Amino acid sequence: MMEDLALAARDKCAIVGIGKTEYSKDSGRSTLALATEAARAAIADAGLSPDDIDGIVRCDMDRTMPVSVAAGLGLRRLHFWGETGPGGTAPSMMIGLAVAAVLSGQAKAVVVYRSLNGRSEDRFGSPSGPRARAGGFGSYDELYQPYGLLTPGQHFAMMAQRHMHEYGTKQEHLGAIAIACREAANRTPHAQMHDKPLTMEAYLASRPISLPLRLFDFCLESDGACAVVVTTTERARDLAKPPVTIRAVAGGQPSDTRAGMMFPALSRGDVTDIGGRQAAEELWRRAGLGPQDMDFAQLYDCFTISVLLQLEAFGFCRAGEGGPFAASGAIARGGSIPINTAGGNMSEGYMHGLNHFYEAVRQLRGEADNQVEGAQAGLVTSGLYPFGSAVVLGRNA
Amino acid sequence: MILPFTEDRDTGPFFAAARENRLVYAACEHCGRGSHPPAPFCSHCREPRSAWQEASGKGRLYSFTTVTHQIHPDYPAPYVLVVVTLDDNQDVRLIGRIDGDAALEIGQPMEVWFEQVADDVTLPQWRPASA
Repeated sequence: MMEDLALAARDKCAIVGIGKTEYSKDSGRSTLALATEAARAAIADAGLSPDDIDGIVRCDMDRTMPVSVAAGLGLRRLHFWGETGPGGTAPSMMIGLAVAAVLSGQAKAVVVYRSLNGRSEDRFGSPSGPRARAGGFGSYDELYQPYGLLTPGQHFAMMAQRHMHEYGTKQEHLGAIAIACREAANRTPHAQMHDKPLTMEAYLASRPISLPLRLFDFCLESDGACAVVVTTTERARDLAKPPVTIRAVAGGQPSDTRAGMMFPALSRGDVTDIGGRQAAEELWRRAGLGPQDMDFAQLYDCFTISVLLQLEAFGFCRAGEGGPFAASGAIARGGSIPINTAGGNMSEGYMHGLNHFYEAVRQLRGEADNQVEGAQAGLVTSGLYPFGSAVVLGRNA
Repeated sequence: MILPFTEDRDTGPFFAAARENRLVYAACEHCGRGSHPPAPFCSHCREPRSAWQEASGKGRLYSFTTVTHQIHPDYPAPYVLVVVTLDDNQDVRLIGRIDGDAALEIGQPMEVWFEQVADDVTLPQWRPASA
């Protein structure tokens, strides 16, 4: 039988450095300037120098190119570069690419980054701008945009509506997710919503955007950048900070896979059929751990409904039970599985989910603002459409 | 109005039929499963025998959202986006828009109508089925 290299790879690589810029509504700087600042910070945090970096991984939606970041960092010997996506599905698979590069000998130390002016330049909640015709060439937008289906929020609203219909999910269930993220942000000084508490009353009274989703069901469109450095665990032991090991990485596809990015998922057989379900199955097998072993979960949260669907897909509760589970207190501080402990994309800042790695590493080093006491292992997930990917991280293997 | 690119090699026939006030969908001639977005191969049985079928124009409301936050000047809020599962093939769900607010219930019968939005573009649209 063929050796299972995924098991052999357990904990062989580690995240050794993390860096970020300020998260804001208007950075006033280019995405290259942001990427460079975050990457420099991550390299310094590891106790490394740019001379040690020979690999770069980016998200395919990033405006910056590896060559530009290499120039910005003053790299001298880049031997590996890669990119993956799309969008929110990227961060965990970006870590996967870095691990692949390191374990195959193509790079010794890889910078993984995400940089965006998601508020001041490229807003996801805006139409793509005037142009003659929408779609074509494998985008499939021609089947959706002419109807006025223009944003991710409208798409997720229809997923939420369907989940409510099938399982009795309530607005208050979604509100519990928004509030859990906000309370974590309230304990995290760098979070954009640090000084803004959110009550259920305020959530329910918030402005409808695309019903059933309201203002506080949406993540923050943000400017900023975030970066991490991946190398071998062996090397990590000699570096500045305690290594946070990468125990397992896995991506997954939905059982009913449709061509295209996000809107085509509306044709899938089942609203709970997200790539995360298959990613979870493989991730837990590779990790030799399960949801019950996680001390926290940083769940990709472009919208509240995204968190709910992943609580189900990753096995924290059964399909359809995400609403009552979220409202039970399980996901809040002190609960069985605290989520998005710095506020996440909902309340910390939208770094497309790479910020979840920054926070997960802080938790496992014991240096988080909103520390889960004695955290030993945690889950980071990325994206819902079209695929899902996820990573299990551990403390000091 | 955002007009669709109607010349795509995989999706173009959908719009060509709509210009003639016909609704068509792609399904596999081998296993019968529907494909939307239309694809040249069947993802279920893997046969490259996807073909265009005439639809009855009847369906059921799968989901909807009332858009209250306006995104684009040509799509004034409020409007309701609907997702409709075709009666002819459960694998195919199509989008439609109802201007203004509308009281809808998931599962209710829907029917197609054809909206000409440019000289050369007609969109299949959906509304609650007349009793």
